[in-house]
Amino acid sequence: MNTETLQHPQGAAAGKPHAAETALSVSGLSPRAAHFSRVFELLVVAAIIMLFAGAIHLHVLLLAGDWDMFVDWKDRQYWPLLTPVVMIMFPAALQGIFWTYFRLPIGATVGATCLMLAVSISRPASFMWWTDYPLNLVLPAQMIASAIVLDVILLVFRNALFTAIFGGFAFAFLFYPANYAIFAPFYVPVSHQGMMASMADLIGYVYPRSATPEYIRIIERGTLRTFGDSASWVSALFGGFICIFMHYAWWYLGLAMSSMKFLPNNPKVMALMGTKPDAKPSN
Amino acid sequence: MQLIPKALKMMALWLGVVMLAGVATEAAWAHGERSQEPYLRTRTVQYYDVQYDKKTVKVNEEFTLVGRFRLMEDWPDAVSPPETVFLSAYSPGPMITRVESYLNGMPARQSFAKLELGRDYEFKLVMKGRVPGRHHIHPLLSIKGSGPLVGPGEWIEVTGSKDDFLLPVTTMNGIKVDNLEYYGTSRALKWYVVWIALAAFWLLFWLVRPLLLPRWMALQKGREDVLISNRDVTVGVILGVVVVAITFGGYIYANKEYPYVVPLQAGTSKVDPLPKQQHGLEVTVLKANYDVPGRSMQVTARITNRGAESVSILEFATANLRFVNHQAPGADKAVAADYPLELVARDGLGLSDQRPLMPGETREIRFEASDALWEVERLVSFLTDVDSKFGGLLFFVDKSGNRLMTEIGGPILPTFTAL
Repeated sequence: MNTETLQHPQGAAAGKPHAAETALSVSGLSPRAAHFSRVFELLVVAAIIMLFAGAIHLHVLLLAGDWDMFVDWKDRQYWPLLTPVVMIMFPAALQGIFWTYFRLPIGATVGATCLMLAVSISRPASFMWWTDYPLNLVLPAQMIASAIVLDVILLVFRNALFTAIFGGFAFAFLFYPANYAIFAPFYVPVSHQGMMASMADLIGYVYPRSATPEYIRIIERGTLRTFGDSASWVSALFGGFICIFMHYAWWYLGLAMSSMKFLPNNPKVMALMGTKPDAKPSN
Repeated sequence: MQLIPKALKMMALWLGVVMLAGVATEAAWAHGERSQEPYLRTRTVQYYDVQYDKKTVKVNEEFTLVGRFRLMEDWPDAVSPPETVFLSAYSPGPMITRVESYLNGMPARQSFAKLELGRDYEFKLVMKGRVPGRHHIHPLLSIKGSGPLVGPGEWIEVTGSKDDFLLPVTTMNGIKVDNLEYYGTSRALKWYVVWIALAAFWLLFWLVRPLLLPRWMALQKGREDVLISNRDVTVGVILGVVVVAITFGGYIYANKEYPYVVPLQAGTSKVDPLPKQQHGLEVTVLKANYDVPGRSMQVTARITNRGAESVSILEFATANLRFVNHQAPGADKAVAADYPLELVARDGLGLSDQRPLMPGETREIRFEASDALWEVERLVSFLTDVDSKFGGLLFFVDKSGNRLMTEIGGPILPTFTAL
């Protein structure tokens, strides 16, 4: 053990860390061990990127689905509400894991970046190259802006509850303005056959999706339309409210999924597992 | 040692089988409508007078598909009524693009509400070639709760190069778009790069130092103080402020750049059906059988002619199949030369009595529609049907050469021995 470590008090009572101290020095790893630890980290990073890109992509496809997929589903009501509520789930879980075990405020950003990586591959590959749809029909929304702010709020507060309240709310509230800069051109009006349409509507009409008739779009329904121009902000506010709870729940879900549980080594459990009831424990 | 050549032989064999299956199933690359239940295709939407003005188009060249459909009065209970419908063209993806569409002369970009059963509607679809190749195109009516119901399909050959495809658009505020295909894409990609760069900065900021094991060990020792420094918090806060500033700055700039925007258009349109044809014909089905071994539908109907001219039975049509009475006047012109021949019964429609029906006359006539098409089109799964009925359109021709149309339908019994 590194004797230098023993000379310093631990935890909050330590006050300011010693100037030369780093996580590496405090950990007590030898240089060789530290080297292999670094190699291990890079392998884990590569695995995490692959694993979470696939998992988050599938999750968003299943839950947010068409609202994130097609440009003519990005309305002012369901898109700013449902998409961030769905997209916060995995980042919140990753935040719980990275913060609790490693004090790394990067969980949300990892989730958002992995999703961006996955859609950057799947949208061009599936739609442009495989089925010849134009990319502007399937441009994805990004949640990186929301995720970075969520991570920063965690870094500042260092508390799961406050991160859920302020960070979860900010995650959803920032989603709409951050993506509006990307999708604003698609709401420009155009006259088609004497009727008004947005450019997004026109793109959705021009390129036939036989299994997606126009009426299937769940957009602009309900009395939220009475808010007129403000409908999207009302949705963003409500989405923020839901995300508070969603973040809190998924933070702890992430911890539950990443914890190790052991069964006790007693005759009942042995019998349950099918070993002989009189089998002696191995240790 | 013999395993390797054996394994290679097996692989070559499997590859050959797979390739052969791919080639041999070319005929199955179209006609997916055969997988739909018979009652869906025979008792809901009946298409007629469908015409394609061109079979070969270049990329960017337009072609038109026109026709009519009848929404059958005896609509199946198992199928949602046409409360909300959408007119489209079925195609294998965006091989063609939609230019315009009309239902009874009304623009059909959006869905329609509350179409009426027992009435006719006329459609027109203007499309444009986009991806070279041979593509099977159908008119398509999608019904909410029930799905797509397609009309007779046609192979359309698109020639040229996909790179030549252009779709210019001018917006209502005067923005000229050279090609709708690329509209907004480069702007979106630039924003993605900005956000990915910021995310990369934040991730690399933490990734460059020991990440997992040392931090975990330090945390176990209670040395959280060495894991996050004041500098880390400062950098994080600055990054957060920058992100929020870019977010709202981008939003404000987008509002200034595009001051006139509209929400997605989500309404439905209403359209009146075509006027009812006045013809004075009454058709009552007395008996209907399907002879399974003989592949023959036999219908006995009582027909009353209350019109002013004598009429002859011209054609029975159902599920895009056509059985023409070759002995009726005008039968040679009943089917357009370019109608898909695979949907026209070779032997046509047989009648028990070919005499024209005089004005005021009532007669029982038995007609027979026999062809292997019933099985090819998979319209005879009576034993799995929950409502054994048939439906179709019966066309007549009067002495002046006018074509008259009625619906026909009723219970049908399958018979498994020759009648």
